[in-house]
Amino acid sequence: MVRAVSGVRPRVDRATLLAWTRDYGVYVGVAVIVLFNIVFTPNFLSLENFRVQAVQVAPVLIVALGMALVIATGGIDLSVGAVMALSASAIALYLGYGPVVAVLVALVAGAAAGAVNGLLVAFAGIQAIIATLALMIGGRGLALVLVPRLQGIRNEDLRALGSGSFLAVPYVVWIAAVLVAVVVFLVRRTVFGRGLVAIGGNRRAAELSGLPVRRTLLLVYVLCGVLAAVAGVLTTARLQASDPNSVGVLIELSAITAVVVGGTPLTGGRVRIAGTIAGAVLMQLLVATLIKHDLPPSWTQMAQAAVIIGAVYLARDRRRT
Amino acid sequence: MNDTPEYAHPSPRSRPRLLTVAAACTLVLLATACARGEEPAGGGDGGGDTEGQAQVLDEAAAGDQTCAIDQYGGQGYDLSDVKVGFSQSEAESNPFRITETESIKAEAQERGVELITSNAQSDFSRQITDVQDLISQGAEVLIIAPLNSDGWKPVLDETRERGIPIITVDRAINGTACEDFVTFIGSDFAEQGRRAADKTIEALDGEGEVAILLGTAGNNVTTQRTEGFKERIGAEAPGIEIVFEQSGDFTREGGQSVTEQLVQSDPGIDAIYAQNDEMGIGAVTALEGAGKGPGDVAIVTVDGTRGAVEYIIDGWIHAVIESNPRFGPLAFEAAEAFGSGEEVGTNLIITDREYDASNAEAEVGDAY
Repeated sequence: MVRAVSGVRPRVDRATLLAWTRDYGVYVGVAVIVLFNIVFTPNFLSLENFRVQAVQVAPVLIVALGMALVIATGGIDLSVGAVMALSASAIALYLGYGPVVAVLVALVAGAAAGAVNGLLVAFAGIQAIIATLALMIGGRGLALVLVPRLQGIRNEDLRALGSGSFLAVPYVVWIAAVLVAVVVFLVRRTVFGRGLVAIGGNRRAAELSGLPVRRTLLLVYVLCGVLAAVAGVLTTARLQASDPNSVGVLIELSAITAVVVGGTPLTGGRVRIAGTIAGAVLMQLLVATLIKHDLPPSWTQMAQAAVIIGAVYLARDRRRT
Repeated sequence: MNDTPEYAHPSPRSRPRLLTVAAACTLVLLATACARGEEPAGGGDGGGDTEGQAQVLDEAAAGDQTCAIDQYGGQGYDLSDVKVGFSQSEAESNPFRITETESIKAEAQERGVELITSNAQSDFSRQITDVQDLISQGAEVLIIAPLNSDGWKPVLDETRERGIPIITVDRAINGTACEDFVTFIGSDFAEQGRRAADKTIEALDGEGEVAILLGTAGNNVTTQRTEGFKERIGAEAPGIEIVFEQSGDFTREGGQSVTEQLVQSDPGIDAIYAQNDEMGIGAVTALEGAGKGPGDVAIVTVDGTRGAVEYIIDGWIHAVIESNPRFGPLAFEAAEAFGSGEEVGTNLIITDREYDASNAEAEVGDAY
């Protein structure tokens, strides 16, 4: 009896601690790495530095927003990097009509790619990891057929999108901020947002309670595709070149990492947008710190792996009941 | 009762399938129908004079060892009667690979030689099977641009048995010359690094901080271009300090994001040595974004692509060391000489040119 009681009590405390670390650990991580850099990295506390980090993290963050929604439904989207490549190639192909048309075509391409994923997952009942894997391979292949080699972008408006600023904040960062606001609004204030979390929590229950499960899933994948396309447009504008061969390579892993490190479980049923942002920032600062201190790139990979293992370890106790 | 809310639709199965096909078609259509890219920039795509572009052998750098067909095994042949197989290592998406493949194809066409080609898309095991396929399709002479230098035993066993001559271009295959392969034709990557160092020393007057944008890790091109550079800097310019060595993975995006980071934390950087043109161009974009002007940071790159040489004219890049990918003429010349029983050098090093402010404008037409 006594033994059982004394055995239970600390376990509860440990569970609370674990849950707290799981939910807020990412912010502690960001705080630690920022403090480290303030002390040890020259010129870290400068506006220019914040500009560089914000601009570099923006595409990953935008992709991670879409990924967070997909993961909240219990799915995953491996095709985001390929969609970025498609979006980059659409820019190169349609820039002759002006930047507005080119960007619109890129976004429509993203939506169409998302629709393929969504239809395969929601209607054909194919597992998300398989359905999106197909587009991950095929999408980049298609992008490379369309634009086989890097093409420089000379259009001034599009280049300004990548390098210009408004009120001293780069356009790229403004766009990321607006998209964060939109996604937060969707998740917190709309039926659609509640619905997608409910589907991830228990799809059967969501169906029985009359939620438009398939339509919601389709929409989530379309949204993820469009967000990836936005990231592709911004990367292209920033690079001043459309490079389907290397744009967004492995970004699906960075995005999934940001989402998981931010406290959204891979099993779905829960979504943490603020955590996702912090997760993306944490990974960005990790890379930046290692570059600024000129450590070998293999260290970056190992540090990232350590953070992921830590995050997944903390999330392992999450059992849905 | 076990149906989902879509139960009411007339044909719940065929509709989504149709939609999926429709969405997929939209993707393809969007991408191809009525596309209109930007107008090409002025200047035109004039190929320049072919003489300036051709590879030239560096007699001094090549070894003395030669190889003739009776040493190698196999029978003599007349190049115009045999099938030649060419195995490319990486996707033709960068200027170097595009030009290399084009050069091989053009030379085969000019000589009226039947050529079969394959591309391993950066997958080494695929390149092994590619070459085996070329052999089974009847290739009697092989030109290989190897992805890796090691791991070729399965192919070499087969070619040795059949007496098929192998000419490797741009990267070497580790093995015994005249036993495993006939000859290697390529640049001296370490020498490219040393020449890049010379240009950097010249730009900085022997004093300052240099950052290196490395290529892909674990690649002999990266290793040798680094070794040559450091060796020369260490020997000739003790006043130059190498403060950063970070990989940009040979891509423009990699070069851009790494340069943004390092310029931010060390704004006093004096020079950047980019191990290929793409990373160098990425560095230019990053410096522009950080408010630097042309010439504030001396950039030295390796490759000799047109984009980079144009940046010399604009003042952004200080110098470009060429790595000439036009292997066609020399490779076929070696194959022909070897087939007719002549001795062929086993290590054919080409002389790479360089571009800087003094010749960029005049010779940009030679860049690929």
